[in-house]
Amino acid sequence: MIQQLFVGLDDACTAVKAILDASRPSDGPLCISVVDGAGNPVYEVRQDGASAVDVRNAERKAYTAAYIGRDTSMWRLQILHDGRTVADWSNPNMTTIHGGWTLRRASQVIGGLGVSGSGSEDRDEQLALRGAEALAALAVAEWRSKRDPRPIRDRQETAP
Amino acid sequence: MFQELRLGLAEAERARDAILAALTPNDSPAALAIADEHGVPILLLRQDGAPARMLSRARAKAYTSANLGLDTVEFRDRHVKARQRTLNDWGDPMMTTLQGGLAIRVDGKVVGGIAMSGNTTNRDEALARIGLEAIGAEG
Repeated sequence: MIQQLFVGLDDACTAVKAILDASRPSDGPLCISVVDGAGNPVYEVRQDGASAVDVRNAERKAYTAAYIGRDTSMWRLQILHDGRTVADWSNPNMTTIHGGWTLRRASQVIGGLGVSGSGSEDRDEQLALRGAEALAALAVAEWRSKRDPRPIRDRQETAP
Repeated sequence: MFQELRLGLAEAERARDAILAALTPNDSPAALAIADEHGVPILLLRQDGAPARMLSRARAKAYTSANLGLDTVEFRDRHVKARQRTLNDWGDPMMTTLQGGLAIRVDGKVVGGIAMSGNTTNRDEALARIGLEAIGAEG
């Protein structure tokens, strides 16, 4: 049996809040979707005025990032380089539109984040990154709180 | 030109907070969906440990309530069962007759749908109604 980390509702809300805080009045109304490591939605919000297209795009971006384990912009470059198209994956839920960001913890994919509606796909991606950064900050804080503050030479050797 | 009253994210968040506060340790991890009058989601939420199908279900319930302007149980009893129809008659794969979806009305106009999934369908509906009250809308 294995233990696998997944993004939870608390994390999802933290990421969404960070993105909404980072958005500017010049950005269009956003739709933000957070999915778990299996690509299933955990939390999703649509700001007033964001369209049904934004909902669909945000979901597909988040799904793709979690499913393939790559940020959608990175993945687009990769499949262009390989001379492939999205259709090669036979998965109608996948997209290469920028703005899907993979969420990782200890190198494992724990979820995906998708933003749509800001007005440009690169700005969408920038905003998605802000959400991922907020989660990374939480992870760092958790690591710091668990860390033994003593210098290594003073720490007790623990049996293997 | 005409103007329409629509449901905003602020109302959806109010409903979310009220429902999360009303959940007890006896409730299973649940999913919540709030959609606008076209059935397009405004807020989707799945608690830790709730299977993915719960959110799909909640979403379908909210979509159905919003689209038809009917609570899903009313849709099931008065429009499907009573007239011996099936869901296929509507030709919409997103529609469901599962209890737990409520139409949101403001000033007599349908502005959206709210639905819960994860517990018994009766409990789902009761929780959705708490959200409806938090929005300050009629059922």
